[in-house]
Amino acid sequence: MNTDNTKAQMRKGILEYCILAILSRNSCYAVDIINELKKAEVIVVEGTLYPLLTRHKNAGLLSYRWEESPQGPPRKYYELTELGRIYLSDLDRAWEELVVSVNQIRGK
Amino acid sequence: MKVTVNINLGGYAFNVDDDAYERLRQYMKNLEKEFSGESSSAEIMSDIEGRIAELFRMRLNNYKQVITMKDVEEVMSILGSPEAISGGDPSAEEPPRAQRRIYRDPEGRIIGGVCSGLAAYFTWDPLIMRILFVALVIAGGFGIGLYLVLWIVLPEAKTTAQKLEMRGDPVTIENIKDSVKREFETVKKKMNL
Repeated sequence: MNTDNTKAQMRKGILEYCILAILSRNSCYAVDIINELKKAEVIVVEGTLYPLLTRHKNAGLLSYRWEESPQGPPRKYYELTELGRIYLSDLDRAWEELVVSVNQIRGK
Repeated sequence: MKVTVNINLGGYAFNVDDDAYERLRQYMKNLEKEFSGESSSAEIMSDIEGRIAELFRMRLNNYKQVITMKDVEEVMSILGSPEAISGGDPSAEEPPRAQRRIYRDPEGRIIGGVCSGLAAYFTWDPLIMRILFVALVIAGGFGIGLYLVLWIVLPEAKTTAQKLEMRGDPVTIENIKDSVKREFETVKKKMNL
């Protein structure tokens, strides 16, 4: 049994939360989100992000606007909607509870 | 010298080596299959197409005007294989359903393995099943007939897959391997005795 799979599952679990947290600071192009996630070693491939962003946009948590790009096709800049902010603050609370729970168990 | 193919990605024209084109086409087809379950698969695909166009543009300049196999492979590793992308969906890996069937158990048998096999099916202790049959025999001889009929009717669990089915374990490579190993250990133990 190796821990890679478990670690991957853990990362996957927090991926959605991390994306929303990044977008809560300012609007982002998908590649900006990727770079930040990569730096934090949360995501491995870019392709994972596109379906997530579209799903959240359809759920009304995100909206986007088109912006010209010097390097190619216009880019989609995503940002949190009002609903997205409420959703994120709920996740913030859930995350804090999780940290407390895990620390409580580990501290025993 | 190579033949190139002219393609339109996200509204931009690219000259692509024919082998690289074939590779890219296959990749996009696999991605499309991967997202086919999504309600907005077309939108996801167009996002990805736009990103590929952008990555290709970054790899081209005045001295390099054609997309090669190397470019395609680099872009594929940035975006990830369809399996890596869909890896986020745990429902994709549903464990095979276990099917339980009644067999005679040749390993745990005392007479014909009927009681042992029935016990495996109902997940009872074989001893209880045997006591029940002995009780039926004592009560009126009905047990002997029933036992003989079951002995004839029930197939013997011969193969490893059948033995797994008898215990209600899913027939997977992993389980078959475990089961064969267990059998090997029992044989080894018997030889030592």
